[in-house]
Amino acid sequence: MAINILVVDDSAVMRSMIKKTILNSGVEVEQIYEAGNGQEGLDVLAKEWLDILFIDVNMPVMDGMEMLERVRTNPEYVDLPILIVSTESNPERIQIIQKMNAGFVHKPFTPEVLRERILEALGVLESQ
Amino acid sequence: MNTTTYTENVHDIALNTFEVTCFMFPMDEWEIEEDELEYPDGHTRAIVGFDGAAKGGMVINPNEALLTAIAANMLGIDEPSQEEKEGALCEIANIICGNTVPLFAKDDKICVIKPPRIAAIDENADALFMGMFNEKVNVLLDEGIVEISIYVEQD
Repeated sequence: MAINILVVDDSAVMRSMIKKTILNSGVEVEQIYEAGNGQEGLDVLAKEWLDILFIDVNMPVMDGMEMLERVRTNPEYVDLPILIVSTESNPERIQIIQKMNAGFVHKPFTPEVLRERILEALGVLESQ
Repeated sequence: MNTTTYTENVHDIALNTFEVTCFMFPMDEWEIEEDELEYPDGHTRAIVGFDGAAKGGMVINPNEALLTAIAANMLGIDEPSQEEKEGALCEIANIICGNTVPLFAKDDKICVIKPPRIAAIDENADALFMGMFNEKVNVLLDEGIVEISIYVEQD
């Protein structure tokens, strides 16, 4: 099944890199949408059918944590698979992300790791 | 953590970042021809500051060949523009700094990584982080050389 993905990151380079890595990961993709911050991400989410979101943490206008909170407080998106992409390693912060029912992708990442995280988030692969 | 240990750690973090993100591999000085041993001239440098549980900054200074290769490999294009080179360098700086800062953070407390930026040509990083402990690490890769400077405020 081909999936629709939204990549939210203020860095155009990082968005391109995530897209390239997803396409190299072997995951079947229908469409990859992009947004430059949390607010733009919410706008895309309101208009498009999405299977999974990739969200950066530090962004101007609306950061990734606020976007995650807003998505999760909307009953329509409570179970929408979300992956937070960050260099974060603080256990407290990672726990907060997990409590909000989101997965975590640590930068730098390989296509293999990304594939695994996507499949876990979609419930195809059991998380470790 | 003593100086030697974190210098080695920064070197390892940088190597892993370049390997995973840009498909580059480590080289030893003896493996590079003398006329190809082009050390960075500071023309395009990325600066990342951090605050919170540790305070300081990091400067990533690649040579021209490496700067071009970083953007080309990250974006999958042959001839990146200067803007793309700078954007890619900032991302690399963000990843290396983000993975390095926990080494300095006290008691696993949270560090805030500031957005990376390109330094002005004449910007003096030593002056910017004046009074902080400073260490420099050279990383030799198959596509070029990068000098990484770390500045950390010590108690």
